[in-house]
Amino acid sequence: MALLAALALGPAAPDAAAATAWTVDPARSQLTFHPRLAGGEFAGRFERFDATIRFDPADLAHSSLLVVVDLLGARTGDTDRDTALQGRDFFETARWPRGTFASTGIKSLGNGRFEATGKLTLREVTREVRVQFHFDSTAPAGGAARMVGSANVRRLEFGVGQGDWRGTEWLDDGVRVEFDLALRAAR
Amino acid sequence: MPLRNTAEAYGSLARFLHWAIVLLIVPQYFIAEAAEELPKGLERLQLMDWHKSLGMLVLLLTLARIGWKIVNRGLPGPIGNPWQRKAAAAGHGLLYLLVLAQPISGWAMSSAANFPVTLFGWFQFPALVAENHDLQEALEEVHETLFFLLLAVAVVHILAALYHHFVLKDSVLRRMSPFSRP
Repeated sequence: MALLAALALGPAAPDAAAATAWTVDPARSQLTFHPRLAGGEFAGRFERFDATIRFDPADLAHSSLLVVVDLLGARTGDTDRDTALQGRDFFETARWPRGTFASTGIKSLGNGRFEATGKLTLREVTREVRVQFHFDSTAPAGGAARMVGSANVRRLEFGVGQGDWRGTEWLDDGVRVEFDLALRAAR
Repeated sequence: MPLRNTAEAYGSLARFLHWAIVLLIVPQYFIAEAAEELPKGLERLQLMDWHKSLGMLVLLLTLARIGWKIVNRGLPGPIGNPWQRKAAAAGHGLLYLLVLAQPISGWAMSSAANFPVTLFGWFQFPALVAENHDLQEALEEVHETLFFLLLAVAVVHILAALYHHFVLKDSVLRRMSPFSRP
């Protein structure tokens, strides 16, 4: 349902003026999160996500990003921690199994770098988040590209961290989310 | 008490490192056991973080102790008959090995579980091994087994020191004592 809702609300519905549509090669793409725990950082990954990407560096007005993450696919290499992430204190996937990011605008930062502003929704809370990324066409014909970037998400804005985890002394509020997407032009 | 070792006794730095390592290792077992008793959550994580930081401090101090042992000439001469000297050298070698292996196995175990290892949050150590659940479980066994080996060798070490002091009535215990002069 959340996926349909996000799609319905998503910007830049396909039309004649839309920028190039890209499909993500999941085998060569990753979406990771990097919390800081007790002064040390570790990486987790979202094993399943869908990205609807329309992007043309020369037509940012018609470019858009929509990412839907299956939070049940969050993995950190430790069963107890993975179970905790699914539970009430963190994502509470029994109620809110997905996270979504829908861009509202993309601007160029120069040198192939861009910044997308958009709405991130987690646990039914929607906040504005900025995502910085690098876009690189890897095939001469422009049929393939890589999109590599990151965003800093303040987990407590979304209520990711209840009970003991509302504090930031042991688990930082800021969580860096990184992505590296292998794209193919969808024609 | 001089900083460096003399022919008769260990210097203050060697003694400090010896006893600091002892005082840091002893509570480690109890911290880990207390953490195991707690439900999974923040409190358990905090105790384990202390355990890990203290363990990394033991590792650093042990490396310092070995480094100091190498550069610091004029070690106290060996005491006892050739058989005793060989046994003492072997025992001390084994102690160094175990005191190093214990934190290293814990560090690797944390890395295999993708948990960061820091020194009280001031400094993060790099991961020793890649995330691997089976390896983490194997290292947990290794870490526990090493503890009991270390305990056994440490008990022999203490008994040997007491034997020297009370039966042979030589200076072996006094020359590493934190208080007395030989």
